[in-house]
Amino acid sequence: MSVVKTKSQPVWQIVARREIAVRATDKSTLIGTAVMLAVIVGVLGFTAWSESREKSYELAYSSAASQAMVEGIAERASGIDEKVHIDPVAVDDADAARHALEEEQADAYLRPTAEGWTLVTLEDPDSELRDVVRQAVEAIVLAGNADAAGTTAAELTRGSAVALDQLEGDSELNAIRYVVGYALAIVFYFASIMFGMTLANSVVEEKQSRIVEMIAAAVPLRQLLAGKIIGNAVIAVAQMLVYVAVGLVGLSLTDFGFALPALSGAIGWFVVFFLIGFVVLSTLWAVAGALASRTEDLQSSSTPITMLLMVMFFGALYLDGVGEIVGSYIPPLSAVLMPMRLVDGSAAWWEPVIAVALLLAFGVALVRFAERLYSRALLQTGGQLSLKAAWRLEE
Amino acid sequence: MLEVSGLTRRFGDMVAVDDVSFPVPSGGLTGFVGGNGAGKTTTMRMVMGVLAAHAGTVSWQGHEVTREDRRRFGYMPEERGLYPKQPILDQLVYLARLRGMTTADARREITALLERFGLGARTKDPLEKLSLGNQQRVQIIAALVPAPIALVLDEPFSGLDPEAIDAMADLLREHARDGVPVVFSSHQLDLVDRLCDRLVVMARGRVVTQGTGEELRAEAALRYRVVLDGDAGWVRDLPGLHVRDVAGPEAEIEVVSAGAEQKLLTEATARGNVLDFHRVVPRLSEIYREVTA
Repeated sequence: MSVVKTKSQPVWQIVARREIAVRATDKSTLIGTAVMLAVIVGVLGFTAWSESREKSYELAYSSAASQAMVEGIAERASGIDEKVHIDPVAVDDADAARHALEEEQADAYLRPTAEGWTLVTLEDPDSELRDVVRQAVEAIVLAGNADAAGTTAAELTRGSAVALDQLEGDSELNAIRYVVGYALAIVFYFASIMFGMTLANSVVEEKQSRIVEMIAAAVPLRQLLAGKIIGNAVIAVAQMLVYVAVGLVGLSLTDFGFALPALSGAIGWFVVFFLIGFVVLSTLWAVAGALASRTEDLQSSSTPITMLLMVMFFGALYLDGVGEIVGSYIPPLSAVLMPMRLVDGSAAWWEPVIAVALLLAFGVALVRFAERLYSRALLQTGGQLSLKAAWRLEE
Repeated sequence: MLEVSGLTRRFGDMVAVDDVSFPVPSGGLTGFVGGNGAGKTTTMRMVMGVLAAHAGTVSWQGHEVTREDRRRFGYMPEERGLYPKQPILDQLVYLARLRGMTTADARREITALLERFGLGARTKDPLEKLSLGNQQRVQIIAALVPAPIALVLDEPFSGLDPEAIDAMADLLREHARDGVPVVFSSHQLDLVDRLCDRLVVMARGRVVTQGTGEELRAEAALRYRVVLDGDAGWVRDLPGLHVRDVAGPEAEIEVVSAGAEQKLLTEATARGNVLDFHRVVPRLSEIYREVTA
């Protein structure tokens, strides 16, 4: 006879451990994670590499006057932008310069005009080249003019220094906030869909294989539901933390690293909202799984929740102003919008606290609703059930 | 002892199980028979608490059955299956853990049972790699670990080959001998006849008869078979008898008023030679057909 301990591990923990063990050894999960990590490392690596790369430009000239100017620019280039290097290239005349540009033997051609100088390129010049040429020409001409007037460039520009003091923060940081905000919304959307589908699939697998009746005879279905959702959430959050950690380390290696201190608090909140929002949506995915009776039904039984996710996602993308503020309190939309407002710095410290409280209250109500649907629909194996039919089922 | 009293379940307007009561005594096998739609599966689901009863109770050792009791019942549902892609040992250990066992104990007992069923070398194989017969064996093990305090098995013999049927029958007898109440449903009446100490017959949601084999046979009308040396057609004219069948010199009769068979015998010996006269013991399958007709 076997010995059965009266105080054994809570059922939900046993279920959650199985979910984690099955998922962590599942090849498609592992491959998916590896691919995602490769993409993050690749994008950030490329950004860091292209930022640090030295850029060299071949600048053509066709007269003695412009030769002196181009050589002057080449001399001053590294002083203006240390990653830019200019190589002077001599050509015969404007036609030859045009030909050199078309043949890609030169990147640009500098020629004098009545008002000053013209930089000729095939298409828009790189901003680095443009800035270097502009600043160098300005400095050289200013020095020449000052000399002619019997003074120096320093004399002429004295007192003209303008120091910067931004009241609204600098625009580059704002741009980063914007991008990070959207990146988080996208991460939430895809993580919810991917893990939600996996959860719904594992629910329908238990239903389709009929093992659920044996489980139902042994343990309360609420415990099974809790275990599945918690196990799934542990895997999702672990994966998310790996992505966020790799992303942050990678970001710190690029020129955008300066933005990190300003964003770290908001990203911490993102993880909190992600966890709660994810669990709330998971209960709906579990219901979608329970309403289906075969994997093939899942597509249609999960339509309401994919619609909800679309609304959340596009709400996050398009809402702004008052709409965004209101939306950042309304669950489950708040799970995406409030972290976005925190990232862009427009939310006060108490706002996420209220939003989390509302989201939690909504979550508790939804879990009760989902639990009823889940436990009643789970043992009905005759075809797909509608929400209404499932609600009316008796235990 | 496991006891069902007054169980009732409706689905919409249809009464699937209507006031069903029967005991499942410890130390014996109780067979549960009835046609498709008779209400056997619904009853067993209510016994296991998978389906709520609209009326009636299930009691275990004299008190109303609790979830903890049921957690130790071995159950094999009619619609059954396990995780197709998980290794068999892993999923059996998982199910045993859900029913309160520690991993180490579950592993030990399950490995022993897998070996007994000839699956000792396949513990790491996913279920779907096994033949259907072997999958069925895994399903049986799932019901037997941890050692059950009662067994509720819905069609445990369906899909088994003759060898596995014998192994299954031995297993059920073993558990019954250890004092475990065992109830199982089956369509194979001869098997039920051979194995069971008690029988519960259901039809259209109700129990139509129940008892031990002897009790059921005793309840059935006395039957005699007679073989004469001439035509037996005249037995139709005798009072107190119901003639079931007459074919040339042979006749099978049912006694309606006591002693009528003796009058038949007297009459027969007066008319000629009696080649055979004996009591017919009906097979359970015959009783079953009569009570469910």
